[in-house]
Amino acid sequence: MLQILTDTLRLTLPALIPSWRFFKAVQPSPRIEWRSPDPDEHWQAFRPRPTHLSPIVILRRMVWNPRWNEALFMVSCSERLTAEVTDHSTAEILKRLRQDAPPKATTLQFRLKFIDRIDGTLLEQITFTSGIYPARHKGRDDDI
Amino acid sequence: MTFETALRLTEILLGWAILQASLEHLSLPHMPRMLFALRATLAVILILGLNSAFTLPLLLLISILLLHHFQGPYNGGADKMGFLILTCLTLARLAPPAWAELALAYLAAQLILSYFISGQIKIMNPEWRTGRALSDVFAYSAYPVSESLRALSHKPGLTFTASWVVMLFELIFPLAFFHATALYLALIIAAFFHLSNACFFGLNRFFWTWLAAYPALIWLQARLIGA
Repeated sequence: MLQILTDTLRLTLPALIPSWRFFKAVQPSPRIEWRSPDPDEHWQAFRPRPTHLSPIVILRRMVWNPRWNEALFMVSCSERLTAEVTDHSTAEILKRLRQDAPPKATTLQFRLKFIDRIDGTLLEQITFTSGIYPARHKGRDDDI
Repeated sequence: MTFETALRLTEILLGWAILQASLEHLSLPHMPRMLFALRATLAVILILGLNSAFTLPLLLLISILLLHHFQGPYNGGADKMGFLILTCLTLARLAPPAWAELALAYLAAQLILSYFISGQIKIMNPEWRTGRALSDVFAYSAYPVSESLRALSHKPGLTFTASWVVMLFELIFPLAFFHATALYLALIIAAFFHLSNACFFGLNRFFWTWLAAYPALIWLQARLIGA
């Protein structure tokens, strides 16, 4: 009970007394890459953004933008996972990977690539590589 | 704007923001569907103004459950602002009159701070003052909605000018509080700022959520200063 109260305070206080420090600096930016290791496939970007969006699509997204908002949640999970490895963030990313996995895949693996500007040059760094997980999952949704 | 009008407008705008986000969640797999279905239903009841004293605490409880479910906000600042509005609105509906006014005033103050602090921390950073930070947002952050937008990172004049326009607007926003017309004008500009963020970075929920806090500020301005 005490743990639930402490967690609730930890989760709600930043909203009730916000810091409002949006974009203080541009932080290293995560990308999720995945592969199906059984045939030893190459790493590929998870849900790459489109090359171009028409003004009509951009306007429509003002009221209907679930996939993009989910992508932003994946960014949060990637940042949390880099700060501290947790089953929760791993499970949230795996759920979406499994959803998009090709039917022939039997296993999945993902890694986090962070892009940052260092001394004027954009550099990529792999900060996390997951274990190998089954591509199909019959357990509880939150299990990894 | 009267206190009651401000409360009703906030309920309608927040109800829409909650309904919009909940319907998005319901379209996705791996979501707690019962919670979002209940949340969407309560948002409609809130918009209709049927029983706010019952609806608001329930929406607040669901928000706390969702914070636990996602181990934090699902959509960062938009969810935080939504939670703040919901808390202030709940207090404003349930608390005695003096405390009710304080709750809405707190929301109005936080809205001013949301712009001012964002501007202050940016202008203290040399990367923002040179336009490099905004250029980097387009160059490599996760936010641009399409690859074609990354080309804007190669337009230093544009990012420099846009950075200063945003920083100066955010910094002088509190001054608008001292005149009703100036406040309306500042809120219209701020809404366009959120609209552009939604178009460039896909932050549509920020747009609807921040709009929901505007009636509180308009009411506080009329309450403390007037025209």
